[in-house]
Amino acid sequence: MNQSHGSATESNASIRVRALESLLTEKGLIDPKALDALVDTYETKIGPRNGAKVVARAWVDPAYKQRLLTDATAAIKEFGFSGLQGEDMVVVENTAQVHNVVVCTLCSCYPWPTLGLPPVWYKSAPYRARVVSDPRSVLKEFGTELPETVEVRTWDTTAELRYLVLPERPSGTEHLSEAQLADLVTRDSMIGVTKVSAS
Amino acid sequence: MNGIHDLGGMHGLGPVLREDNEPAFHEPWEGRAFALFASTFVFAGYTVDEFRHAIEKIAPAHYLESSYYEHWMFAFEEALMKRGFVTREELDARIAQLKNGGH
Amino acid sequence: MLLTPEIVPGLLATGASARVAADVAPRFQVGDLIRVRNHNPATHTRLPGYLRGKLGTVERDYGVFAFPDTHAHGLGEKPQHCYSVRFTARELWGATAPERDTLRVDVFDDYADPV
Repeated sequence: MNQSHGSATESNASIRVRALESLLTEKGLIDPKALDALVDTYETKIGPRNGAKVVARAWVDPAYKQRLLTDATAAIKEFGFSGLQGEDMVVVENTAQVHNVVVCTLCSCYPWPTLGLPPVWYKSAPYRARVVSDPRSVLKEFGTELPETVEVRTWDTTAELRYLVLPERPSGTEHLSEAQLADLVTRDSMIGVTKVSAS
Repeated sequence: MNGIHDLGGMHGLGPVLREDNEPAFHEPWEGRAFALFASTFVFAGYTVDEFRHAIEKIAPAHYLESSYYEHWMFAFEEALMKRGFVTREELDARIAQLKNGGH
Repeated sequence: MLLTPEIVPGLLATGASARVAADVAPRFQVGDLIRVRNHNPATHTRLPGYLRGKLGTVERDYGVFAFPDTHAHGLGEKPQHCYSVRFTARELWGATAPERDTLRVDVFDDYADPV
């Protein structure tokens, strides 16, 4: 879509952004090429495939898993994933007894270096409101049902720690390579609204 | 502040609406708005906390009805106008110009 | 500083941590029972309303960070400890909440009092 010329169909939001971007550019305060680079980075380079690699490594390498649970920031940085909105990472492990799910009720905090930018639903009012007070109903909407004997542990990201769920490795995956395991790991499982399935 | 953003535990907001395989940015302007964060953060001197608070102050009905990156635009405009990097008049004039087909 | 494309990768990889290298004593230890303060500023806070007045247990001390309540308003970092605090679902939402479920919320020193 060509956004360089105004048109009858251009939204108010788009015009508002172009107004600010053009003014700041003319004042020499921003460089549009830097904006291009940022957009490209988060559209194509930083995303949940990063977190999937971390999870798969933890599944196959117990020593790595220990490092991940002890000092997540350093362990994640072993892959070269670091920085903005992931400066202080915490990884929380799903087990047979505990299922973790992450939210930011107050805004949209999310671990960008491992998961990229959050989906709209994560930032939406219904998710933010309900996953703290009735997480099981939210999980059910995602197709995840857990028995009452499992503790659902909801993490509200109120400070600058950023949380990543280490989902359980599904059974029947013993024969898979680390790369194949990473392919199974979904973004939603690392937020905690779903589990990872073997296929 | 006890604002509309403080959503934990609220009822009546409905189901979690999802889109499969959604793109990082649904429109080009969203990507530009996103990128304005890092681009303005490095010169304007506002903190992430101030940025968040600017969003918290959006009128409640508008907060709920407007889209995520529109919230960011409110915050940028407030932080930059407050510090004199841009004025309301300049923004309004540019918006009017762009609406009339200027580029 | 003007952000140019060359600077972008390094900036993203480094980020901007809110940790502060200040020697501040923690007000709480892991295992402490705390009560969340009835803190209702009209200005910025990262204390969600649903926690006010509730009892929780300190699970982890994350160290010293800038305090959002002041940092948002140019009133300085006021560095202090930030903790992961465990709240039971029943404590927050009442007796109909599942018995085993819990919440973990990050709580600053200034949001809590000892019990």
